[in-house]
Amino acid sequence: MMTPETAGRDLTVAMETIIIPRLAEATNEVFETMVLKTLAAGEPMRDKRQPTANVVGAIRFLGSLSGTVSFYSSDAAAREIAGALLGIAPEDANNEVPDAVGEITNMIAGALRGKLAQAGEHLMITPPSVTRGSDFMAQHFNVAARVLYPFKMDDHEVFVEIILQST
Amino acid sequence: MRVLVVDDSSTMRKIIANALKKVGCDEVIEAGNGQEGLQQLTSSAVDLVVTDWNMPVMNGLEFVRELRGLASCASVPVLMVTTNAETADVSGAKDAGVNDYVVKPFTPDTLKDKISAVMKK
Repeated sequence: MMTPETAGRDLTVAMETIIIPRLAEATNEVFETMVLKTLAAGEPMRDKRQPTANVVGAIRFLGSLSGTVSFYSSDAAAREIAGALLGIAPEDANNEVPDAVGEITNMIAGALRGKLAQAGEHLMITPPSVTRGSDFMAQHFNVAARVLYPFKMDDHEVFVEIILQST
Repeated sequence: MRVLVVDDSSTMRKIIANALKKVGCDEVIEAGNGQEGLQQLTSSAVDLVVTDWNMPVMNGLEFVRELRGLASCASVPVLMVTTNAETADVSGAKDAGVNDYVVKPFTPDTLKDKISAVMKK
C-alpha cells in the first residue's frame, strides 16, 4: 500500500532529480564542518552492489518521501571520524565509534532534510540506529529506488546509501 | 557557570562540553533525553541549558516547554542544537521557549559565539 504522500510519484525520478544532486553537498558539509575533512565524491551507483563495512548508521525518514539514509564505513574510518569529532587519537576512539557514527548519520540526514525542504520536500527523521561488526548485511523491503554514493576520505572509502520506499 | 547539556548522543554532549570549556564554563552536567534533563533541573540550578531536539523518551521541544513551567527555570537561557533547520522548526522552537538556535553541522566558533550571545541576553 502506498502512503498518500508517495502515491503516484515516480520515486526513481525523485531520486535522480531531487535527492542525488543534494546528497554529496549535504555529506561534504557535515564532514568539512565537523570532521574537518573534505571528501572526494565518486560516481553514484544504482546497481545492487553492497559496500564492505564494519559500521553502519541508519536513519528512517517519513513525509513527502519515505525511506532510509545509511552511512557505511570500515572500523578504521569510523575511528578516524570519532577521533576527529571528539579531539582524541583514532586509536583511542573505540567505545565512541557507534555513537559517533550515529551522530554523523544524523547530521547527514539532517543536512539533506534541510536541502530537501528548500526543494519543497518535507520530511521527519528518526533517531539513528547503528550496527557494528562483520558478516552482516542490511536488507530493505519495498525498495522503489536506491543509490549508493561512494566517497574517499583520505585512504578510506565511506558510503552513503539512500533507499526510497513505496510504503 | 553551571550548564546542563541534554542530548542522546554522547559524542555531541562531548563536543558541546568542549565548546563550553572554551567560553569559561567550569561545570557541565549531562542528560541523555528531556526526562533526564528535567530530573537534573529539579535537583540543581543551572545558568544555561543546551539541548538537542530529536531525542527518545522526551524530545527537546517537550523538554523546553516543561522546563519553562518550572519556577526556577522560567528565565534560564536555552540554546537548541539540532539538525532541524526548516523555518517552521526554528519558529516552533522559539515559541516553546528556546532563546537561540544552532543548526548542525556547526563550526566550533559558531557554537562558541552562540553560547556567548545567549548568556549575554
